[in-house]
Amino acid sequence: MTALQDKHEKEIKHILAKYPTDEKRSAVMPLLYIAQRKAGYVTKQDMLEIAELLSISTTEVASIVGFYTLYHDKSGGKYRIQVCNDLPCALRGSGQFLEELCENLGVQVGETSSDGILSVEAVMCLAACDKAPMFQVQSHSDISYHENQTVESALQTIEKWRAEETDK
Amino acid sequence: MSELVKNEAAQNMVTLTIDDHTMSVPEGTLVVDAARSIGLDIPVFCYHPKMEPVGMCRMCLVEIGTPMRDRTTSEPILEDDGSPKIQFFPNLMTGCTFRASEGMVVRGYTEKVTAARKEVLEFLLTSHPLDCPTCDKGGECPLQNLTMQFGDGESRFIYDEKMHSAKHVALGDLIFLDRERCIQCARCTRFQDEIVDDQVIGFSNRGRALEIVTFSDPGFDSYWSGNTTDICPVGALTTADFRFGARPWEMNASASICNHCAVGCNLTFNTRREVKSGGEKIIKRVMPRQNEAVNEIWICDKGRFAYHFTASDQRLNQPLIRKDGKLVPSSWELALDLVTSRFKNAGENLVTLAGGRLSNEDLFNLAELSAHLGGDALLYSDMAGGDLVSRLGVGEGTNFSDMGPETAILVVACNLEEEAPLWWLRIKQAAERGAKVIVANPRKTKLDRSAIHNLRYEYGQEAGLVTALLSAISPKQPKSPAFVNKLAKDKEVKAAAKALSEAENTVILFGSEGTSYAASAALAQACANLLIASGHIGRPNNGLIGVWDKGNAQGAWDMGLRPSEDLDAALKTSQAVYISAADPAGDSKQYASALKKADFVVVQELYMTATAELADVVLPAQAFTEREGTYTSGERRVQRFYPAVPSLPDLLPDFGITAEIAGRLGLELEKTAPASVMLQIAEVVPDYAELTYQKLAKVEKQFPLIGREDVYYGGTSYQNSQGLGVQLKPAAQNGDSPVLVITELPEVKLSGEELLAVPVTRLLDLGNTVTPSEVLVTRLAKPHVALHPQDAEKLGVEWGSKVKLILNGSTQTVLVEFDNSMPHGVVLVPRSLGIPIISPTPATIKVL
Repeated sequence: MTALQDKHEKEIKHILAKYPTDEKRSAVMPLLYIAQRKAGYVTKQDMLEIAELLSISTTEVASIVGFYTLYHDKSGGKYRIQVCNDLPCALRGSGQFLEELCENLGVQVGETSSDGILSVEAVMCLAACDKAPMFQVQSHSDISYHENQTVESALQTIEKWRAEETDK
Repeated sequence: MSELVKNEAAQNMVTLTIDDHTMSVPEGTLVVDAARSIGLDIPVFCYHPKMEPVGMCRMCLVEIGTPMRDRTTSEPILEDDGSPKIQFFPNLMTGCTFRASEGMVVRGYTEKVTAARKEVLEFLLTSHPLDCPTCDKGGECPLQNLTMQFGDGESRFIYDEKMHSAKHVALGDLIFLDRERCIQCARCTRFQDEIVDDQVIGFSNRGRALEIVTFSDPGFDSYWSGNTTDICPVGALTTADFRFGARPWEMNASASICNHCAVGCNLTFNTRREVKSGGEKIIKRVMPRQNEAVNEIWICDKGRFAYHFTASDQRLNQPLIRKDGKLVPSSWELALDLVTSRFKNAGENLVTLAGGRLSNEDLFNLAELSAHLGGDALLYSDMAGGDLVSRLGVGEGTNFSDMGPETAILVVACNLEEEAPLWWLRIKQAAERGAKVIVANPRKTKLDRSAIHNLRYEYGQEAGLVTALLSAISPKQPKSPAFVNKLAKDKEVKAAAKALSEAENTVILFGSEGTSYAASAALAQACANLLIASGHIGRPNNGLIGVWDKGNAQGAWDMGLRPSEDLDAALKTSQAVYISAADPAGDSKQYASALKKADFVVVQELYMTATAELADVVLPAQAFTEREGTYTSGERRVQRFYPAVPSLPDLLPDFGITAEIAGRLGLELEKTAPASVMLQIAEVVPDYAELTYQKLAKVEKQFPLIGREDVYYGGTSYQNSQGLGVQLKPAAQNGDSPVLVITELPEVKLSGEELLAVPVTRLLDLGNTVTPSEVLVTRLAKPHVALHPQDAEKLGVEWGSKVKLILNGSTQTVLVEFDNSMPHGVVLVPRSLGIPIISPTPATIKVL
């Protein structure tokens, strides 16, 4: 049960070195990012391994994954499109934006496209109410904001990603 | 927190007013606790007096004001009538996080407060399923009670929009979660984290999606899981054992004492008449009963779930006599007459062998009968030191809850969480208050986490280790073996010795992991020497505690029974053997063959044990749940238990059967009233001279205040109304001044390929009183052994594989586990899992 360690030995060592040996548990967040980089979500196996590395319980690791919205415990698209539809955004039309975006992409909210490239999620406040409709994209290990969107502008960006992915 | 009134003298007191009641409490007391201490209610859900406050549920909102002071002069500002002017906070404050200060005024019943309570309840109920009629908590549910008291009759939320979630989530084999009922107070997750250090349940997600999850394997893997159902303020957590079993108001409550280990936790048996038991009362569940000096308000899962043996259909229900090689039913008259005549013939060649789960009354009568005939009264145990505990045991008034920085605690040769869970918990908590805990074991145990020093030694060196501690504090000891001198120079040992000798109070708990009887005697004496040399005897919170393998082993020592140094020989040479509550034949083939050679064997038991199978006469006894009696805990607290259910027809209590036999031999012993046996004990056993059943039944006010009306505050643990028991004074507290006794340290020798097999204790074993509880079956340890991974590699054994274990002349197939903290050359063999082992013994392992 050392897949994660074997693959990222140096990086993990580097992270652990930042924390006192009796406070290793603080390294849980960066280690989860490493784990998530691999498949876009944290597997149960990764959680077990991180728990053992840090001498905490697997349940505690799972709780942390569950608490933070940017950690995922289920597989999704390579690009996770997270549209904010909280009240201020909704007042600026994010509801309709989300609906039309899904229609155009042929994906339901919370689901992943059949090519596995993208998934669409509705999320709570992303602190950009004045620039709605907006969405955040979590891809590879990056996060980016796309503000003042129309369905057209969003589709353009998405097509670009699709093309990049197919080129690979 | 909860200890608010106990330490009044030591702390600054402040005076505050809650709803026109003025009271003095130690500075820093939480407002809810201050209110509770005089019986006032500030309702809570998330707050629990045994845990740190979190202020999550908002149920305890109250108006809080403090005296105003002039900003330039700091002088109090007064009203026209001369009373201090109070400034109230503009918002309602949470009483569970706010600490009392001088002159504070709290209003708990204003319109504003009542409205807030109503709103909090309405909010909590938005997605609550309101399935009270089928909920196990109904009738003892804080949410139900507080809604009746403060809630509105109607909700403004739309019923059809209620969020629905899973209703039967098995968090583990013992605990079920109903996600709809959960109000997310985090009492359970905090209990597992803060109190018992098993963080195996946690919160996942947030907001409305927040839910309790477990990722441990097996699920909810903790010996303490049942307690979460007591403190759950709703019906979200229920036990697999009791769910849908009965309504709380249908059940009677009777006080009892757990006899699975030497802690002596106070219990309440909830009973009810049922059709399936022919209209008779049966036990429906076991609840903790508050005793702040013993178990506070907690019990372990063994105590909670391993009670089904009483109602087992395997119980013996009539006397049996061997006829033509077969055991056949007999009348009591016939059986007792036969026993009497054979005992009479045996005279001083009668061997009485009793188990440590019997009550003091049973053991006393057995000892009296044995003395009458001049025979030996033996305790079935391989652990020594009960006599030393009666002389140097912890002083009257000892309470782990009182221990802090001034106390050092040494725990040696035992895995405390497995052997005496509540002691583990209370010592862990003492460590959190600053007590210096020193753990000495050949391997890692859970208590190591709480220790300032972890001392390691080889199995067989336990007495040597303690002697080394003694040498480190008082160097003028007689010549010790080389390994002791070496240990005494070890830096960690020296530091531990310093901590032990310099502490104002020192308690030593000794167990029997890895000890033979002789080694156990040496260990107990070494511990006694250390306490005598450092002057830690005869006072409260000082002295020796035996971590016995059975609930009333200390009581057995006090009643004069002693383990035999050579039980095999004692059995073989006897003319009659009288065995009660012990199963030597089940534990060892050697004892089985010795019993086969014995002339006449009488077994007094609950079940047809392997020993009973070999008996000439089998006498069925009442279970402790069917009668009265007393047990003496490892801390020498004598406690009463009461009958919970009616006895099977025609059965007698153990002391009664013994008295019947004694009567036929011309010795009058009390046969019906255990209270009268106690009067006789008081006459004969000096330490028990002051005891009566009335004294044992005395109670006093305990903190936190818990109980049926206050179920919102402490949980469903029972208030103690039937006795806190009496802690006996050890001889050292009565003026006895013991001297050091230096014993020779035993050595263990192994040859060639052999490993040293060491019996260890697992909490959930396959004991006779455990296995009838079906709910525990999946949690019980499987027959297995533990090896050091390097030893395993040498043997070519993999983790989880099956091997042949050869020891004590028997061969068995067992699973292998690894423990990389244990010494090399050792195989750990759990007791009571069907592998015949009593003392450390040579063994070989063969790969299958």
